[in-house]
Amino acid sequence: MTEANGLIFHTQVLGEGEPVALIHGLIVSNLAEWYFTAAPVIARNRRVLLYDLRGHGRTQRPDRGYDLTTMVADLAALLDGFDLRPVALVGYSFGGLIALQLQRKHPDRVSRLALIETPLPPSCAVEADAFSRMTVEQWLVASPESVRRTMSQGGRRAERFVDSMRALVCDTSLMEDIAAEPDISDRALEQVNCPVLCLYGDSSACLESGRRLSQVLPDARLNIIQGGHYLLSDAPREVASRLEGFFDD
Amino acid sequence: LITVSAFIREVIGQAWVKDFVITMDTSFNTDLELESIEFVELAEKLQSHYEGRVKFAEWLAEMELDEIVGLKVGQLVEFIVRCQ
Repeated sequence: MTEANGLIFHTQVLGEGEPVALIHGLIVSNLAEWYFTAAPVIARNRRVLLYDLRGHGRTQRPDRGYDLTTMVADLAALLDGFDLRPVALVGYSFGGLIALQLQRKHPDRVSRLALIETPLPPSCAVEADAFSRMTVEQWLVASPESVRRTMSQGGRRAERFVDSMRALVCDTSLMEDIAAEPDISDRALEQVNCPVLCLYGDSSACLESGRRLSQVLPDARLNIIQGGHYLLSDAPREVASRLEGFFDD
Repeated sequence: LITVSAFIREVIGQAWVKDFVITMDTSFNTDLELESIEFVELAEKLQSHYEGRVKFAEWLAEMELDEIVGLKVGQLVEFIVRCQ
């Protein structure tokens, strides 16, 4: 556990070497998403920071502060705490937006960016309106395989999962904060001055965001691999391999 | 097995697990219904207990996701013994 930006964060540091921070996505996610997929592979040769975003996993769940500005400040404070600079930032889905905005705010602190399934505009990250109007059946169809499996088995794990998701969606400002996020303009994206990997699934609804990012960011490459939006569980080995190749380049 | 079982009970922290018989054949997924974040917590506690001699990340790096999902308590105990 680590105190940063006024909250207690659940953190994990794995491995030794050049620093990398891995940032997970919103609501149905926490640092375990990285811990059981690409993180152990990357940590063979690098120092890897994992953390639960505010309100997620074992990090404290404040009522407010789920906007990008606050979540970027959270990450900046954690990087300071672990003295990680310059650092390669890897963000999955909304985590990619945190990484991107941190690079824009503190370009001297970031060596590389990997954006995995990162959506634009940011307000699409949880498809806020659609999400709140979905029936349980529709929501399950739109969820990752791991969530479908958990829910279909029922029992203790499903109950805990629903409780934590309900608390985040119903008892915090998260949905409202994300829905209010403005788009990031092309002019702003053109200022990103480090190498960027845009990694997307060939059947993902976010692929168009990847095309836009790779066209507008000055030093970006687009890698499209087999899978949907939930690439970390669809293709964990391939994601780790693409990230390794990008870091070694 | 006694040490690992004690930490599993601590991580789950619910009344039912106090009397649940944990064996080498107990599955983290189907028998204990451990959440993935709870497994991370368990790894943290064991790592701290064994003062870093147990390298979970290196062990997990060798496994496919399906193998991790199918892990049994005995496999974790055997791995810890190998690290000593």
